[in-house]
Amino acid sequence: MIEALQFDFMQHALLAGILVSFAAGIIGSLIVVNRMVFLAGGIAHTSYGGIGLAVYFGLPIFLGASLFAVGAALLIAALTLKKRHRMDTFIGLIWAVGMAIGVIFVDLTPGYNVDLMSYLFGSILAVSTQDLYFMAGLLAIILAVVTFKYRDILAVSYDSEYAGLRGVNVRFFYTLILVLSALTVVVAIKVVGLILVIAMLTIPVYIAEKLSNSLFSMMFLSGAIATLFTLVGLWFSYTYDLTSGASIIIVSAASLGLFLLLYREK
Amino acid sequence: MYVVEIKNLCFAYEKDMVLENINLTVGEKDFLAIIGPNGGGKSTLLKLILGINTSKTGTVTVLGKTPTQSLTQIGYVPQNTNVNTDFPIKVIEVVMMGHVEGKRPLFGYGKHEVLCAMGALKQVGMADFAQTKIGSLSGGQRQRVMIARALCAHPQILILDEPTSSIDITGQREIYELLKVLNEHITVIVVSHDISVILEYANKAAHVNKTLSFHDISDKHSTFHTHGNDEHFCEIELLQMLGSENCDTCTSTGSATDDTSDTSTSSVNDTNLSVAEPVEAKIKWRLKP
Repeated sequence: MIEALQFDFMQHALLAGILVSFAAGIIGSLIVVNRMVFLAGGIAHTSYGGIGLAVYFGLPIFLGASLFAVGAALLIAALTLKKRHRMDTFIGLIWAVGMAIGVIFVDLTPGYNVDLMSYLFGSILAVSTQDLYFMAGLLAIILAVVTFKYRDILAVSYDSEYAGLRGVNVRFFYTLILVLSALTVVVAIKVVGLILVIAMLTIPVYIAEKLSNSLFSMMFLSGAIATLFTLVGLWFSYTYDLTSGASIIIVSAASLGLFLLLYREK
Repeated sequence: MYVVEIKNLCFAYEKDMVLENINLTVGEKDFLAIIGPNGGGKSTLLKLILGINTSKTGTVTVLGKTPTQSLTQIGYVPQNTNVNTDFPIKVIEVVMMGHVEGKRPLFGYGKHEVLCAMGALKQVGMADFAQTKIGSLSGGQRQRVMIARALCAHPQILILDEPTSSIDITGQREIYELLKVLNEHITVIVVSHDISVILEYANKAAHVNKTLSFHDISDKHSTFHTHGNDEHFCEIELLQMLGSENCDTCTSTGSATDDTSDTSTSSVNDTNLSVAEPVEAKIKWRLKP
């Protein structure tokens, strides 16, 4: 593994793994405590529509996927703020329609020029310098938001009705969490792919939740745990020549199993 | 000045009327119990007082202003505080959510906010649990924390929606004893099903089932029949007293209870009492002979 680090692509992969894992740990915590896991899955799959559009119009993939995912997040936010009990129906709908749009636009694109599998299951060895800037920028934004707006986010996540009565702009923060989730999902597509991203957003969070007694510590602990899983997963992937995204998820799941076996609730 | 004043209020979520022609006044340091059947509009009425719901017909005035303007003066303890118990949050953090927006540090919580939250926790007897994870508390303890959160903003009115619905009997009594102490300084409005408990503590009662019947019950000894024990009120007396449709039959239901509990069953006095506030139905109830 050490000798592999002299290659640019391997350095990029490691750096991307760390940046994305940290972002996924923090945002994953917010997704889990707000019970929005299904919602995040919906946004992840919907972003495929953005990939299809970007391919068709010759735009950068990251840009297309980001815009489309953020659009989906805003749409879901608008729909679910009023009718929260119908949330699952809307998400299921947007989930499938997004994927369908993506498939159709890839069909319409002359010549088969993209490796679709890499978006579904990740391609961490193909991270460009530009991608790294995007990831670092997003992580910086997420860190700034959760540090300076921590108490608002905490209030909205714990008890949104009460937060509203105390003058917190619930609509804004709910939408903000969704938009940040959408962007995190898009950068995580590079690392684990849009199908596997949901595991990255939930497994480290589940372990961290058991070990922390505040949302703040939970966010950073799950960031650290996600990073560890990603690095171990990458090592497996490199050593045994396996798909990186799937390796990361299997390492995470196996660790979760081990954790549950060893950890007894007090 | 009334703390809460509702005039000719009607409310409907969609087509069907949930509340019709509601008139209600709550004075300073009143302890008002709102009772009534499920779906009768109790929670809706609370939400109108809190300004979560707004109605086009009728007016709601809280402390002389609209509910939204007075929101910072109202402490609210919502229903169902047992949801989200897995949430990784410490007791003190929950209480500090009660602070009204205002001067606050860029990062984390201010020192005065922590002190104020600790003060509120002391008031409800939960100061020792400040650093505990909220999920590891019992239902009654969690309810106390929610009351502390409401007290954090130093409210003039404390509104509680079914505060004891998931707490055992001892816990319920403790909560009401706490409310009694708090009531010495602030107005308390409680929605509850535990009518037998609540009437010991409340001095006003409102029965809400689409329409509202108001009762001044501050002088319990003269208006209630009790079973020899001064502290006991059971649902039957209450239903006699409040349910207007039961009035015609209250003599018969009344004597049925007397058979089991009271030796002097023969003479039952039906008396018309005028209630402090306008009530459509004249309510008959019995005085203890």
